[in-house]
Amino acid sequence: MNRFRNLIEALDAAPADRPFVTAWIDEDESETVTFGEFRKRARFQAGILRDHGVTCGNRVIVIMPQGIPAMTAFVGAMMLGAVPAFLAYPNFKVEPSKYRSGLAGVTANLSAKVVVIDEGFPDEMLSYVSLNDRSKLLRARGGQTPRTGVELPQLDYPSETLAFIQHSAGTTGLQKGVALNHAAVLRQLEHLAQALKIDTAIDRVYNWLPLYHDMGLIACFMLPMVCHLPVVMQSPLDWVMHPETMLQIITEHKCTLAWMPNFAFQFVPRRTPPSRSGQYDLSSVRALINCSEPVRASSMHEFQIAFASIGLRSTALQSSYAMAENVFAVTQSDRQFGPAGICADGAEFRTKHLIVPVADGTAGSVSFQSSGRLLPNHEVRIASGSGELLANGHVGEILIRSDNLFAGYYNRPDLTAKAIIDGWYHTGDLGFYLDGELFVAGRKKDLLIVGGENLYPQDIEEIVASHPAIHDGRVVAMGVYNPDLGTDDIVVVAEVERDALLTNSVEIERELRNLVVAGIGVAVRTIFLKPPKWIVKSTAGKASRSSTREKLLREHRELNTEIEDRQST
Amino acid sequence: MTPEAQQMIEHLVLLIRKPNVKVEENTPLVSSGLIDSMALVDLLQKLEDLTHTRIPPGKVQPKDLDTVALMFATAQRVGKARK
Repeated sequence: MNRFRNLIEALDAAPADRPFVTAWIDEDESETVTFGEFRKRARFQAGILRDHGVTCGNRVIVIMPQGIPAMTAFVGAMMLGAVPAFLAYPNFKVEPSKYRSGLAGVTANLSAKVVVIDEGFPDEMLSYVSLNDRSKLLRARGGQTPRTGVELPQLDYPSETLAFIQHSAGTTGLQKGVALNHAAVLRQLEHLAQALKIDTAIDRVYNWLPLYHDMGLIACFMLPMVCHLPVVMQSPLDWVMHPETMLQIITEHKCTLAWMPNFAFQFVPRRTPPSRSGQYDLSSVRALINCSEPVRASSMHEFQIAFASIGLRSTALQSSYAMAENVFAVTQSDRQFGPAGICADGAEFRTKHLIVPVADGTAGSVSFQSSGRLLPNHEVRIASGSGELLANGHVGEILIRSDNLFAGYYNRPDLTAKAIIDGWYHTGDLGFYLDGELFVAGRKKDLLIVGGENLYPQDIEEIVASHPAIHDGRVVAMGVYNPDLGTDDIVVVAEVERDALLTNSVEIERELRNLVVAGIGVAVRTIFLKPPKWIVKSTAGKASRSSTREKLLREHRELNTEIEDRQST
Repeated sequence: MTPEAQQMIEHLVLLIRKPNVKVEENTPLVSSGLIDSMALVDLLQKLEDLTHTRIPPGKVQPKDLDTVALMFATAQRVGKARK
């Protein structure tokens, strides 16, 4: 990939007749475009953008449903030397007020020359797209036939020119646009291709991930585009409504590579009727990569057990630690052996933030699954809260440095200065490095520090959710300051399966406390059992820790008092 | 109301987990937030079982499942006989 000066050169080098993107709707309907056809459509989009005044360096926002038109609009902008950014398309999962405020903020920050939307974009959202007097709204019309021979100027800009902007979270709520240049993206793709031993002759990517997320954009769009691989994709909404189709598509198209977050390793097997899974064949998969959430051994195991009988090789389950700020992957697990697992002493982990290996299944131990080994030209440091560098096996904040690190958040020097210090990106994730493998424990901002012990909310949540009266996935654990003790208390809020169970709340609470003490040896101060639908969900449909915390503090004045007390001290 | 629609309502009551919510054939489910995205897959599987059809992915959107009445109309419109 070093031979290419920019991403468009890499696309231009692909054989014209090689299949590139297959947009899969169902078994009777799909559309495949070759690299040649994709280039033609992208040039057509570039011509339209140029007609609307887009030139080199202008920002172009693409807010379209997942599919080939959105992808060609994105690449068309790059063909002009412009800087495209995908934003999430509105859908029923996103709370309208949150979407509107995010849309307004992000579009204002990017100050785009053109915002491309599709014909179906809701009119009521248009007023939240920030347009200045030099920017335009462009509705892409369906059924337009690409003109032949759209002449574009020969691009001749340095590889350090911005290629695109990707946002560091799936929602439009965050205004942290990660600005990436062509050189950084090409270097990342080269490292990734090397780690995965990409073979153009056999590899084929499956994707349901949204293209505004780094897993979708980099691993499932840019990687195939630059390495000249076919990619079969479906919309995230179709996947979430029919997760079984993932198995169907991999079977039909003999896909070899896919990425997905940890929760999907449970969601797919639990939502695929056993009576139907037997008709699929996963033997083509050589790497199914768990990425973007802390990797859980239990989730990987559940997927493996469910689909081993249809050809899924145990070595196919892989892991990676990735983030938009590094273009994508920092680590990748070993292709032959998969991610390493380790069982550590629970007390040492929580009180001394130290990993002391113990035998599997030891009482009070904690298990970790690695995210793999560093990609070439990547370095990692683990730092304490005070910034002191920690040795291998100590838990602290993960700092990274690489030759494909982002230059900064677009138009946000304030955020950039906080994130990159002396060339090291402070990830905000907690983890440890051991025997050449990186293990990610959780988010620094979510950490509960109780009496000097580091507790990870997901560990408590997992235990609470295992109780039959509690709805799976609808639990939030948090630390709430106790001014008398000078430390945080553990507070848990959990939804019961049915309203009627609340009449038995005393007994359920007692059982939950016992479970947590038995599991990780700490006492929960308060458990709030709530009726169904009480927990606030994120746009991804998962329990939102921050919003649920805010709601709890609003409803329970006694907790507010404690917060105010801490703030005043 | 058909027996299948009644069975769907009974399934929805379990899925929604709020017995005090009355579900009728035209009660909005998705747009009102009673059903979330993760639950749509359960709902579709139930609809396929009740109608003995296979509902092709990509041919159905969340808005097509917003009420029990819409669900059965959708199954009739896009459902394929099971092989």
